[in-house]
Amino acid sequence: MANTVIAHGITIEGELTSDEDVLIQGTLRGKLVSKDIVKVESGAVVEADISASSLSVGGQITGNVTASDRVDLMAGGRLIGDVKASRLTIADGASFKGNVDMDV
Amino acid sequence: MARASSSTSHAGSAILGKGAQIRGRIAGDGDLRVEGAISGDVALTGDLVVSDGAEIVADVQARAVVVEGVIEGDISATSSVAIRAKARVSGAIRGTSISIEEGANVSGRIDAEFDLPPELGGKSR
Repeated sequence: MANTVIAHGITIEGELTSDEDVLIQGTLRGKLVSKDIVKVESGAVVEADISASSLSVGGQITGNVTASDRVDLMAGGRLIGDVKASRLTIADGASFKGNVDMDV
Repeated sequence: MARASSSTSHAGSAILGKGAQIRGRIAGDGDLRVEGAISGDVALTGDLVVSDGAEIVADVQARAVVVEGVIEGDISATSSVAIRAKARVSGAIRGTSISIEEGANVSGRIDAEFDLPPELGGKSR
């Protein structure tokens, strides 16, 4: 179980910062900063810039994402925004619109 | 806790863990357990638990509220409010039943909504 869980049905409007991992099943508008893993699950809606160590996207994100480690776009996931990460995977069935900066 | 992961069609339990901070509004269905810090209003249709070490600087609205940490702001519950021994609350407290444990630090108005018994002139429902 993740340290912080924004469950289905919960909406946050503002800035969420965490030292530990964050699981999003609900809605977040604003900004998300975590020093650990962020998972945006299927059904989640995020309209925010995200910064994390690693990010997995099964839900919908509108915003720019930065990960110090990796970004994984899962099947069914939808990301509209720029990605800055050293590793990026896009699964079959994921949607993505934006620029990628792998910092080479 | 199991509800949140096993079902996505129903509102589950949300947790704001230690080391997590929210600046902004939180609203929605379902329960919320706060171990971190929130500055911004909280409005839930479920229950709110503010754990030991947690801090909320805002008004909160929920069904039942249990406070073990700190709330600086008004508490408005449609059900019960329980202030535990280590808690510190400054603000008005409103609920159908309110309990305050020995050792808790409470400053503010307390407004418990309940019907007076008939012999005291209240109307029984």
